[in-house]
Amino acid sequence: MTSDARFVNLKAVGSPVIPDEAIPLVEGDGRFLNDIKLPGMYQLAFLRSQHAHARLNYVDAGKARQLPGVIRVLTGKELLGKVDPFRSMPNRFSGGESIQHWLAVDKVRFCGEAICAVVAEDRATAEDACELIEVEYEPLPAVTDPRLGEQDDAPLVHAECKNNYLIKREYQRGDVDAAFRNAHVVVKRPFRIGRKQALCLESRGCVAGYRESTFTLTVWISHQLPYVVRHYLAKHLRLAETDIRVIVPHTGGGFGQKASIYPEEFVCGYLALQLRRPVKWVEDRLENMVASTHARDQYIELQIAADKNGRILAISSDVWVDVGAYSTYLWSAGMEPLQTAGLMPGPYRIEAMRYRTRGVATNKTPVGPYRAVGRPSASASLELLIDELGRRLKLDPVEIRQRNLIPLEAMPYRNANNLVHDNVNYLPCLKLAVAKSGYERLRKEQHEGKPNGKLRGIGVACYAELTGLGTSTAVGPGTLLQPGRDAVTLRLETTGVLTIAAALPSQGQRIMTAMRQVACDELGMRLEDITSISNDTAAAPYGFGTFASRTAVFGSGATIIAARELRQRILAIGAFLLDVPVADLTITNSVVHTLDRSKSIVLKDLTEKSYFSAKSIPQELNPGFEVTAFYDPKFGSFAGGAHIAVVDVDPKTGEVEVVRYVAAEDVGTLINPAVVEGQIIGGIAQGIGEALLEELVYDETGQPRTMTLADYLVPSALEIPRIELHHANVPSAALGGFKGCGEGSIIGALGSVACAVADALSQHGGDIHEFPATPERVLKGLGVLASTQ
Amino acid sequence: MARELPIRVTVNGKIYERTVPVRLSLADFLREHLHLTGTHLGCEHGVCGACTISLNGRSARACLTLAVQADGADVVTVEGLRAEDGTRHPLQQIFLENFALQCGYCTPGMLITALELLRDNPNPTEREVREALSGNICRCSGYQAIVDAVLIAARQSGAARANAQASEATSRSSV
Repeated sequence: MTSDARFVNLKAVGSPVIPDEAIPLVEGDGRFLNDIKLPGMYQLAFLRSQHAHARLNYVDAGKARQLPGVIRVLTGKELLGKVDPFRSMPNRFSGGESIQHWLAVDKVRFCGEAICAVVAEDRATAEDACELIEVEYEPLPAVTDPRLGEQDDAPLVHAECKNNYLIKREYQRGDVDAAFRNAHVVVKRPFRIGRKQALCLESRGCVAGYRESTFTLTVWISHQLPYVVRHYLAKHLRLAETDIRVIVPHTGGGFGQKASIYPEEFVCGYLALQLRRPVKWVEDRLENMVASTHARDQYIELQIAADKNGRILAISSDVWVDVGAYSTYLWSAGMEPLQTAGLMPGPYRIEAMRYRTRGVATNKTPVGPYRAVGRPSASASLELLIDELGRRLKLDPVEIRQRNLIPLEAMPYRNANNLVHDNVNYLPCLKLAVAKSGYERLRKEQHEGKPNGKLRGIGVACYAELTGLGTSTAVGPGTLLQPGRDAVTLRLETTGVLTIAAALPSQGQRIMTAMRQVACDELGMRLEDITSISNDTAAAPYGFGTFASRTAVFGSGATIIAARELRQRILAIGAFLLDVPVADLTITNSVVHTLDRSKSIVLKDLTEKSYFSAKSIPQELNPGFEVTAFYDPKFGSFAGGAHIAVVDVDPKTGEVEVVRYVAAEDVGTLINPAVVEGQIIGGIAQGIGEALLEELVYDETGQPRTMTLADYLVPSALEIPRIELHHANVPSAALGGFKGCGEGSIIGALGSVACAVADALSQHGGDIHEFPATPERVLKGLGVLASTQ
Repeated sequence: MARELPIRVTVNGKIYERTVPVRLSLADFLREHLHLTGTHLGCEHGVCGACTISLNGRSARACLTLAVQADGADVVTVEGLRAEDGTRHPLQQIFLENFALQCGYCTPGMLITALELLRDNPNPTEREVREALSGNICRCSGYQAIVDAVLIAARQSGAARANAQASEATSRSSV
């Protein structure tokens, strides 16, 4: 219990608590990776491949080594035998092994692959030296299209990977053939989503320190998974984990791009050990566009078999993902291919499904995890096809979805992809979005036509997002890395202040604030008496880190368990000091008191006594105020929602404007509603970018054509409309009833905007299958421009 | 051409005299030489707006400005927004209270840009706020909370001005 004017219903959980952790950021005192300087620190730059696929005939760094200020030039050959390269994680669906040297040896496989590392006294000198390195490339034929790359006569990116398959899986559940044979209607549709970039505003970076404090290697890194980095640094640099400390400073966005293991930071660590000096590498934006993982880049062919009422009987899909040159380290090349196909059913009741999915290696930057891996394209392709099914059966998009969504009363429901839906408000979300958007009126206005000559489109999309995955549910089917246990340590300090320590870094999700709110309610402490440290392997207990909409669920769950134990310890000592039974005591506003308030002791005095006057307290009552708890939610919990997007398409220019956006979400019990709102709206903005603007373009030789932010367009404040957000939350089965909310909204955004654009074009007999819906594609879809296909 | 040149520049009210490489950007000068790391670098080609600073009263990209171009100039960075006693600028406080930042990387540039807008147009419409901020990329928020914070700041300073005028009128009438 607590009483705080800022709290809703006397609870911190559920209240829009202002996050103290944001104060340094708003005052310009954030300490991001690039802000870290150590005495004697060198700077690192990389020479990168100009070719998509080429043999390296020779690499001559002689002139670069002569440049004043250059400390060391490292080539791939020099690293051979000294460190272990990245080998694709074995996977029961893997097509063959891909070996990624930290610096290319003999061959380069994508534009931007690092060839040499140059250490100099300053970054400009390091970059100057890169230009002095002479490389003779012998260009090789490049693979740039996964559907051509899987042909028998295609060039191979890796000699060991037949047909360039890094991943291939076929799956079937239920009698799909019978469903299609007996269907009243079968609809099918191709779908293409381009390659995109997380585009964290802060790119990657690393400072590696030598013999700082008691550690051989201290690494500050802009990353989502500090303990995973520590584990793999130890493995690859052949150190003990205890020799390494990993610290994550303020991080300017992650979105999955900072959840993989990359060569550059490992080279940085290696060089610090070699040179016995701190070494810093900060990725610049031009590097980031080719050196950090890309996302999406898929071709999907989807079919639905349905009965005469529009009930979906089965789905069948073929998926090709252009996964780039290497299997992304840790996550494997399976992320997009396996999750796209596997999660295709989304929130719909589907008894039978079949898919064939492949991750085909190409000579492009590797594809890795990015916000809501696989789901946005799976969802958008299905939503577009459901609209088509509706048109065939003369059913409105809302009606056909209502007939297929998994209703609460059918839960727990095991879908054809073997995932169990439990406690999720898919139908209420749809009804809420329909009501709040005034859907019928929107349709009426649409049919009346627009006086300005624009085509109005309305898109409805429902989505499911599996969040807070525990040990029983893999992040991706078949991937070896199956995280699911994270710890939080609560420590009551001698001054009565509580410290929460966890290795769950925040990239703006206000995780520390969320855990403080949870602990506040459990312990009855004042919020200002609770602080939090995070992101440092020397200070926080073991955790996998922040990804897959898991952190609030894991961090809060572990906090609850630890807080309950800590509360017992506090009350036991309180009972002794106040000479009352434990059952008579409670804690309010950091004061331990009897229920009738006749006796009390402030927490600060209690902790001070327990530490400094321990002699007077029986030892068995005083085991110390430090509790570590692990939490594993075992199964994940589904979050879900329904989004309605309204767009205006200019048939003359092909420009699409999102004019209205309504979202109804079920994200479980809210910890901090304002933070949740920010997560959801931010995800919608990225989804609108994915639907309309953002695409990394490569030419047929594998040269990237979108190397700057003038070419790769992310939404500005003008492209994002005011988002109208509503909630239909039901608690999950996880401790506290929490669900993850970091990723779901991007799924609904791609689906709803894609459906809205297709809906607009259909009024002129047009259609669109490729996204983002750039003006060119829109005009092709309207038949104004000739289609290339 | 000289590789280094002397410059004299006022930053957040303090005068600095330094000799700098001619190829040094103003952003790197502020960050590396003056240790004012609140100015962030997001693209270094003038698109993202993270490095936006105030140069002689106008917002400017510190990544596209050379340090030598700032010779004689008056520069304000995010570190200069706080009052002498360390109190947050009202706009900083409104950003904090309205959850107008997530990762915080774009925030310094957003603040500088928004302050220029509010100075030139104290009562902007939502559309005008979005126009003014359209050169600053935020990848986290979807902009809504930032736009709202700027609108709230405009309302609050509008109310403060009205109050000031009212009390001035009252004090005049009482004389």
